[in-house]
Amino acid sequence: MTASPSLGSPIERSASERPSIEFDHASFRLNGRPLLNDLVLSVKQGETLVLLGRSGSGKTTTLKLINRLLLPTTGEVRVNGIRTSDWDPIRLRRSIGYVIQDGGLFPHFTVERNIALVPRIENWPRARVEARVRELLATVGLNQDLASRYPSQLSGGQRQRVGVARALAADPPILILDEAFGALDPITRSEMQKEFRALQQRMRKAVIFVTHDLREAMLLADRIALLEEGSLIVDLPVAQFSRSEHPLVRAYEEAFSGLPDPE
Amino acid sequence: MNFWQFMMTNRQQVLDLTLEHITLAGVSTLLAALVGIPLGILITRVPRLSKPVLGGANIIQTIPSLALFGFLLPAPWIGERAGRLAILALALYALLPLIRNTYAGIQGVDPAVVEAGRAMGLTDRQLLLQVELPLASGIIVAGVRIATVVSIGLATIAAAIGAGGLGEFIFRGLAMVNNQVILAGAIPAALLALFADFMLGRLERRLGSLRSKS
Amino acid sequence: MTIDSIRARVAQIICALLVYLLLFPSVGCERHADRIVVGSKNFTEQLILGELFAQVIEARTHLPVERRFYLAGTFICQQAILAGRIDIYPEYTGTALTAVLKQQPSGDKAEVYRRVKQGYEKQFGLIAGPPLGFDDSFAMVIRGEDARRLHLRTLSQAAAFTPQWRAGFGYEFMERPDGYKGLVASYGLRFAEAPRIMDLGLITRALREHQVDIIAGNNTDGLIPALDFFVLEDDHHYFPPYEAVAVMRGEMLKQHPQVGAALDALAGAISDEDMRRLNYAVDGEHRDAAVVVKEFLRQRGLIR
Repeated sequence: MTASPSLGSPIERSASERPSIEFDHASFRLNGRPLLNDLVLSVKQGETLVLLGRSGSGKTTTLKLINRLLLPTTGEVRVNGIRTSDWDPIRLRRSIGYVIQDGGLFPHFTVERNIALVPRIENWPRARVEARVRELLATVGLNQDLASRYPSQLSGGQRQRVGVARALAADPPILILDEAFGALDPITRSEMQKEFRALQQRMRKAVIFVTHDLREAMLLADRIALLEEGSLIVDLPVAQFSRSEHPLVRAYEEAFSGLPDPE
Repeated sequence: MNFWQFMMTNRQQVLDLTLEHITLAGVSTLLAALVGIPLGILITRVPRLSKPVLGGANIIQTIPSLALFGFLLPAPWIGERAGRLAILALALYALLPLIRNTYAGIQGVDPAVVEAGRAMGLTDRQLLLQVELPLASGIIVAGVRIATVVSIGLATIAAAIGAGGLGEFIFRGLAMVNNQVILAGAIPAALLALFADFMLGRLERRLGSLRSKS
Repeated sequence: MTIDSIRARVAQIICALLVYLLLFPSVGCERHADRIVVGSKNFTEQLILGELFAQVIEARTHLPVERRFYLAGTFICQQAILAGRIDIYPEYTGTALTAVLKQQPSGDKAEVYRRVKQGYEKQFGLIAGPPLGFDDSFAMVIRGEDARRLHLRTLSQAAAFTPQWRAGFGYEFMERPDGYKGLVASYGLRFAEAPRIMDLGLITRALREHQVDIIAGNNTDGLIPALDFFVLEDDHHYFPPYEAVAVMRGEMLKQHPQVGAALDALAGAISDEDMRRLNYAVDGEHRDAAVVVKEFLRQRGLIR
């Protein structure tokens, strides 16, 4: 597995290390309505930040500001120290892996072609592309003979794995996932969470994972950022988060209490 | 003699007129596709143009076909040869289904798929060629099918202004008060339309199944 | 069914279409190099003339001839011959001059023919053959008995009697600039009452039954000899000539010069009388045009 390209040993978290993703008082308004207010947040290489919050809390807006599907109305969003508005959008997006619910796979492409999408448009030589696809299928735990199937012929769990493989294909340093495991049944979901955790520990990318599920957040996060109505409520390492006395955190804990601890 | 004998006796002429008819309908549909499909793509990119473009094509369709032929007759160059005039008029008529279906087909592509494509860093051109057009192709071909069938039908009227084709049999048969001659035009024209509809329908279904593979 | 195979199939279809379109640029033009296609308009006289051309070509050149008769009018025929869908059709010099070449008519036969021949060759590459010998222009027709009783031969002579006559004309004759108004001016006709405007189908009967005394008809109308009508001579040459000629595609004549030679045999071969009789045989006696034409050609020794 190739290491991420430019940012030094992933285990060290020295203070001088520049974050991969930074939100510097970023706000976003649509038609006058504020969707995100004055967000201050950062994610370092090797770190997994979970954005937790209800529907409408601004989680998806936050993600879209990273890959420049949206531009901030005020404030700045920086990736690798460069403002998103200064990045070439195509180059920016190709260095960010994006996984959405149910994979967002192209229905008219085979699994192999879906995964190979970014490498192909980056003009990788054919042999390298083929080898990479085989490698990724193994990484996400899929059988090689699924390569020639179409998404409609796969189960939900298989599709999600292909979605992850596709996002990883060009080995981007940053991964953003939007409720990626939300549409799966509990057992498959649990499997995927565990496998993803293991993957992240190997690859050490900068990961932002969006979910509304507290248990998933607790399992996958290094840090949790709680959003409510477009504003950041708390931003804490996972251990401190569960001990927080903030009323909204309490409310979440209660909503998820009484259910078996996934650990 | 019965109808079948009549057709055999005059098979050379039937063949001639059928080929004329195919050329009239085929060239005009092709022209309309070369203009209409790019226009349909354009109005998905520039939404404020969609109303005027679709509106314009709709107005052209509303003009009665014979009246449209009449309007174009005095035009320089176009009006001098019935073949050109007919092909232009037929192409104008075929525009609406092509523009509209291209537009609807692309608009109808699952927005999540398009957004996923954009988020992965596909350029606008790559999105169009690799995602939107292939997924819209079933509906676009449906537009081609409608345009083709309409052209084959309208081409029979083109004989009234001297463009030839199977309509000529129909008009001549009317003047001769001879049913066999009328049918010698009407039946092949109907068969042509049915055949085109069937073949393009098959292609449409095959392409449409691509959309639903998700 | 993969997207690649569909793309390949669509590409094949488009290539095939393009090849077809490139090989057949003008509709039907090259396809019948081995046949002669004769067209005609959709009234009896035209059918007879078309059949005449077809049979003469068949007999004298042994080329196969295809008939595309009953085309709906001058414009249709002109478009068809320009596109190469027909090779020959019968036209009238007056119609050719005014409706096709869009020039002003004149009364001089030779001049009209010359202008048509030149204009057609220069503008369209079409060759006008020699006149067949008759003139299908407007004719002022009276009853035979009146012609004999009053010793009338020309319109100028008849002009003196117009105050005592009732006239019956079709709507178009009244409206056309080269119709009623000009005629009255040219000959100084003075009808006591305004002419009756009648349906063309009823006008012949009206003349026969003495409801009217003079009508405007066609010179070669078959009913003229049959009903003992008489055509007054247009001695002022008011009506433009409508001599029948064969209009032929120049390209076809280059490939098959024997066709031109064959049709030359018809030059001057059909008089006004002949055409009236032929028209009557088909319209009045309801005989088959092909049979009537064959008979005529044999009688005149034009075919064997």
